[in-house]
Formats: sequence, structure tokens, C-alpha cells
Amino acid sequence: MDIRIALAGNPNSGKTTLFNALTGSNQFVGNWPGVTVEKKEGRLRFREGVTVTDLPGIYSLSPYTPEEVVARRYLAEERPDAILNIVDGTNLERNLYLTTQLTELGIPVVVAVNMMDAVEKSGDRIDSAALAKRLGCPVVEISALKGRGVAEAAEAAMAAAREGKAPPPFPYSGAVEHALAHIEEAAVHHLPGAQQRWYAVKLFERDQRVQEALGLTAEQIAHIETDIAAVEEAMDDDAESIITAERYGCITGWMSECCRKSAPGALSLSDRIDRVVTHRLWGLPIFAVVMFLVYSVSMMGVGAAATDWANESLFGEGFYLFGLENCWVSGVPVWFERLLDALHVADSGVGAVIRGVVLDGIVAGVGAVLGFVPQMLVLFFMLAFLEACGYMARIAFVLDRVFRKFGLSGKSFIPMLIGTGCGIPGIMASRTIENERDRRMTVMTTTFIPCGAKVPFIAMIAGAIFHGGAWVTTLAYFTGMAAIIVSGIILKKTRLFAGDVAPFVMELPAYRLPTLPNLLRSAWERGWSFIRKAGTIILLSTVLVWFASSFGFTGEGFRMLEEEELHLSLLSALGSAVCGLFAPLGWGNWQAVVASVTGLIAKENIVSTMGVLYGGEGNVYTALAESFTAASALSFLVFNLLCAPCFAAIGAIRREMNSARWTWFAVGYQCVFAYAVALMVYQFGCLLTTGAHPLGLAAAVIVLAGLLCLLLRPAKRAGRKEGEDAAMAA
Amino acid sequence: MLPWLHEYGGTLLVSVLLLSGLAAIAAKLLRDRKRGQSSCGCGCGNCPMAEACHPGKKNEP
Repeated sequence: MDIRIALAGNPNSGKTTLFNALTGSNQFVGNWPGVTVEKKEGRLRFREGVTVTDLPGIYSLSPYTPEEVVARRYLAEERPDAILNIVDGTNLERNLYLTTQLTELGIPVVVAVNMMDAVEKSGDRIDSAALAKRLGCPVVEISALKGRGVAEAAEAAMAAAREGKAPPPFPYSGAVEHALAHIEEAAVHHLPGAQQRWYAVKLFERDQRVQEALGLTAEQIAHIETDIAAVEEAMDDDAESIITAERYGCITGWMSECCRKSAPGALSLSDRIDRVVTHRLWGLPIFAVVMFLVYSVSMMGVGAAATDWANESLFGEGFYLFGLENCWVSGVPVWFERLLDALHVADSGVGAVIRGVVLDGIVAGVGAVLGFVPQMLVLFFMLAFLEACGYMARIAFVLDRVFRKFGLSGKSFIPMLIGTGCGIPGIMASRTIENERDRRMTVMTTTFIPCGAKVPFIAMIAGAIFHGGAWVTTLAYFTGMAAIIVSGIILKKTRLFAGDVAPFVMELPAYRLPTLPNLLRSAWERGWSFIRKAGTIILLSTVLVWFASSFGFTGEGFRMLEEEELHLSLLSALGSAVCGLFAPLGWGNWQAVVASVTGLIAKENIVSTMGVLYGGEGNVYTALAESFTAASALSFLVFNLLCAPCFAAIGAIRREMNSARWTWFAVGYQCVFAYAVALMVYQFGCLLTTGAHPLGLAAAVIVLAGLLCLLLRPAKRAGRKEGEDAAMAA
Repeated sequence: MLPWLHEYGGTLLVSVLLLSGLAAIAAKLLRDRKRGQSSCGCGCGNCPMAEACHPGKKNEP
């Protein structure tokens, strides 16, 4: 018989870490609440027929957040054979609140007290045996991160599932028990005995979803209401608060019996660090410095050295192995050239096309992208460190103060945080935002943050035009963030998005030193996806770009072009048709326009297309430096950073918006916003550097004035919302 | 025949390899698209929303 074990617990209590340890899978683990939004399933390692389900972190079984709905539905409706309840040992009292609810479900429960290593380190003591006696279920001490007690917890859960004995339900005071007995009799008597208690408590709390799920009649609800009202009158509180107070009252008693704090009330190390990094004034500057350091190390330090080697040596002429002068290793393009020579691939006819596709297309294009892998790996490693140690959760808290002033909730930062890896899960993570208008706004703006795919072209611009300055990548990150804030202000002042900001409550997890294998795995996962993408969609795109840039119509008909005839190519014809539109942005040449368009397939394509179109006989960086000024390069960077994301991300926007009209609105807004900002960057940049064109400057001034008007105008009231939302969704 | 093979065999071989490679990539991208997998750059194992894309997919050890 198959055993199904559900992992349930508070957010950030270590469920996913335990899930990975139990199943050997590789799910994303982050040190901030809300990492798991959907449930995940895996098979228990070294055991046949045991399925483990990782549920999203929840504080209670109330249906207030999407995570709670997912977890509650699974536990109450699909009813696993056992629940492995992970509780954070460093925060036992609050975690046990959920435990009291889980024991009411009529399902066998095993409590795993996690982070015991941190508990012991702090000098606190937990009496597991006494806790087990109070809860009426097995309690196992574990450290999921260190792998301690994990096997014992799994064994205990399997034993509990086989035995099938649920723990005794939580005992309430006499008046509540009396009302619950009445409710069980009146409304849930038809359900199996083990399930009646939980449904009765939920009905006592006036849970509408449970009322609907049970299909109660108005008479039944009215009948129950008399019992609930009687208790409320007797205890002078509302039903939900009565249940909460009774649970916490009981837990407080358990805590004094089972838990001993070494220094009650003393500030922990995390608290002391938080006093500095979440400071009202210093919080943001510290964040700016941290991000600058991250980009400095990845773009200029270790990452840059490795990327320079990859671009100039591995994908260039070659290098001396270990610096030995008698050990010259040729670069990848030379290998391919020699291979084609060895196979006698001709220099003319079909052979010339093959040589062109391989050397000038695939090797130049894919090589240009792969050259950035070292920088990406270092960047992903450092971002993974910030996420895993718990710092990024603090930034959500710090940014909430800023975002809130501009109509956005700190909840919008979680999608942005995920979006630094890839915009698609970032867009999908907006599901955790309950307010539909805020959710749509977050979907529209999340991709402004530079994702992993945008990093190579930002690094390319930084390397070619700005001598690899780390400030360029840091600027890109904060430009994305500023774009989100500005968009938040503008959009919140429209009727479509007006409304109060949703409250943002987030538990700040304790700082933890991440393990090296976890960091390396996270960086490699992202890096490997990047490499895989280079070998598939980017490779295919480079072949198409090479073909379209190497063939064209001449006086002699359609033929392959010489290098100096690029202006006659198909790509040139297509790019030239629209490049005038981008002339006010400073990069109205067809190569840059085509690179931006191919970026819609995948943002890495901007680099591969540049590699094909600017590669030629010389160095891509030199050719780029000749084609762009500082102002036009920044304008190009800003436009491609803020404009519509790749098609895959647009698809994700379409799925999350569930409306073609909203999707077009989102993409349209992103493109218009990107154009406006890029126009101002170039025109004002020229004014400060080389001198501005009067007409262009006038256009930029008008755009700036329009933007200021939108920013400073009074906010609209949230009227007619349903009608307008429906019209957009239609 | 042999001189022809010597002169054009390499071109033919590389052409076939190249075309079949490109066709395989295109087929894989189409197959992924049909399965609902996108060209998402994060890697599903690293994605907190993976289950939303691939509901019910078991993570075998």
C-alpha cells in the first residue's frame, strides 16, 4: 500500500530543506517565507511506495492566503496518511499554533522540531518527551540542514501512517466544547468521526468555505449561529478570537513546561544585525552598497577575469595552458575552422554557407553568450548567498516602507526577488498577492528587474563602452527598481489600479550561514539552464540571424553577400524599415534594432546577435565602441532592460492576467515606458556630453513634463472598478 | 566517385550533421512547448513555482 506523508509547517520552518533531504530532489530552498507557493511531490528515498508532499508554509488552516488554501485543501480533502509537522525550534510557541489545528484533522501527526542545532547553540532546551505527552503524538528532534534526525522523522511518520491513530484533539473550555458538540450533532454528523472535529471548529469560526463545502442550508447555519452567539456572549469575544485565545493560552502553558530559554528577552544576533540593516535611514543605502559589491565582484572581480579569458582566449585566438609558453591551446573558433578544413569543406558554394553558419553564426553568436557564463555563475552564487542567509527578506521589509509610499506593497518585492533569476517564475509568484489590482500591477512591472538573461547584454555594454564598470550593472538594477516605483505611482493614480495598499506582514527569518553545496547547487542550476538555453533556442536564433544577415537581393539576384555588402542583407532591409523609430534614442542603426527585436525570443539573443552582426573580422567590443556613444549605449541598455520581456515571459503574463487585452496593455505599457525613459536618457545624456539635437531635446523635455504630470497629479478614487476590470478582461 | 567524395564528402557530412542538429533543436523546442514547458531561464528545479508548470510531476530521487 502506498503511504502519503504531507510536510506541513509555518513559512520558513525548513519544509523544503527536509523535503529535499527525504526525497533527494533539488527543490528551491530560500531563507524567506513564501518560497513554496504550490505543493510539490516526491518519492521517499530508499523506501518503496512512500510519497512525500511538500506543502506551502502556513500559519494556520484559515483560508486567507493562496498558500493556506492550497495546504488546507490538500489536508482536509485529499487527507494524507500522516502529517509530518515541521516546527521551528527557535520559535516554538508560534509554530505550535498550527500544530493544534493539525491535530484536529483526524490524521496521524508526527511533530519534527527543526533547527535543533540552532536551539542548542543558543543554549535553549526543549523537552521533546514532555511535548509529545502534551500533544499526544510523537515528537522528533531534527536539523534538516545538517541531515540530523531526518531518517528518524520519516520512520516515525511511516509508523504513524501504518498505525492510523490520530492524536487526541485540542481541548477547549467547557462552553466551547459544548457548542462544538452541538455543531457536530447538527451539521457534520454524516462525516466520518475523525473528521467531525475540524469541520465543527471551522463552522464555529464561521468559515464560509467550509459552510459552502458542506452545503449547509440556511436553517442549519441559523441553528449553529445560536450556539456560537451563546458562547460569544458568555465569553465576551468573537468566535474566531475565542478559539485563537484558547489555543495560545494552552500553548503558553506547554511552553513553560517543555521549553527553557537560556536568556529570556535577550536580543539575538539576528535582532542586532537587523537593527542596522533594516534601519529607517541606513537600510536603503546599505542595500545599494551590498548590490554594488555583488555586481563589482561578479562583473569586475573574479567574474570579469574569467569572462575576459572566456571571450578573448577560449572563444578567441587561444591561450597558453597554465601559462606555459610551450603549451599553446587554440580557441574554439580555431578548432572549428581546423575541423572544417580537415573535412575539406569548401570555401565556395554550399561549403561557404556551411562555414559561415558554423564560424560566423553559431561559434560567434553562441560563443559571445557563453563567454558570460563565468560572470553569471559568480553573480548567481552571490545572489543565492544573499537569499539563503536571510538578507533579501530584510530588503522586502525595507522596501515595503518605500513601496508603500508609492502605492505598492512589499509583497511585490518577492516576485522581483525571484525575477532576478528569471522573470517567468517572478511573474507567477505574483499569485501570492491577494489584491487583484496590485497583483496585475506587479505582473506588469516585475520584468523591469534585470533577470539572468539580461545580465549578459548589460555586461557587454559595460565592457565595450564603460570599461567594465560595475556601476553600469548596479545602475541597471536600480533603474529597474526605480521603474517599478515610478510605474507604481503612475498606475496607482489611474482608476484601473487605484485602491488601498494591501498590508504586508512578513516574518523575518533568523540569519543563517548557508551551506556551500546549497549555494553552488543554486548557482549551477541557474548557470546550467543558461548554458542549455545557449545550446538550443539561442543557437537556432543565431543561425537564422546569420542567414538573414548574410543573404540578400543584389543586382545579380538573391545570393550570399560579401562582408562589405551587409547593408544589402534581408536583416538590414527589415531593420532599416523601422530603425528610424529608434533614431531619437541614439541607436537608429539596423544592427541595434535587430538585436533588440531578437531579444524578444530570448534576451541573451541581444548578445548573440551582436556577436554575429558586429563580429566580422575584428573584436565585437571594438565594433560596439565605434557604433555607440556613452549616451546611446545607456539608452540602448535602458530600452532593452525595460521594454517587453521575452516571448516566454509574455506567455506567463498572458497566463497570469488571464486576458489578452490585459496582456497587450502590459506589453504596450512596458514598451512605451521603455521608449520614453530611453529617449530622456539619450537626449539629456547628449546635452551633458556631446551636445543635444534641439528637436530631440524638445521631445525629451515634453516626455519629462508628461511623466512629471502623471507622477504629481492627484490620485483617482477607486470607483467603477468592477466594470472597468470586466471590460479589460473581456 | 572517390574523388567526388573526397571533394564534397566533408561538406555533405557537415551539412547533414548541421541540419539534423538544427532539426533536433527545433523539434525539442516544439515538444517542450506542447508539454507546456517554456524557455524559462531559471531551471525548474530552481523554481519555486515549478509545480504550477508541471502539476503532479513526481520528483523521483
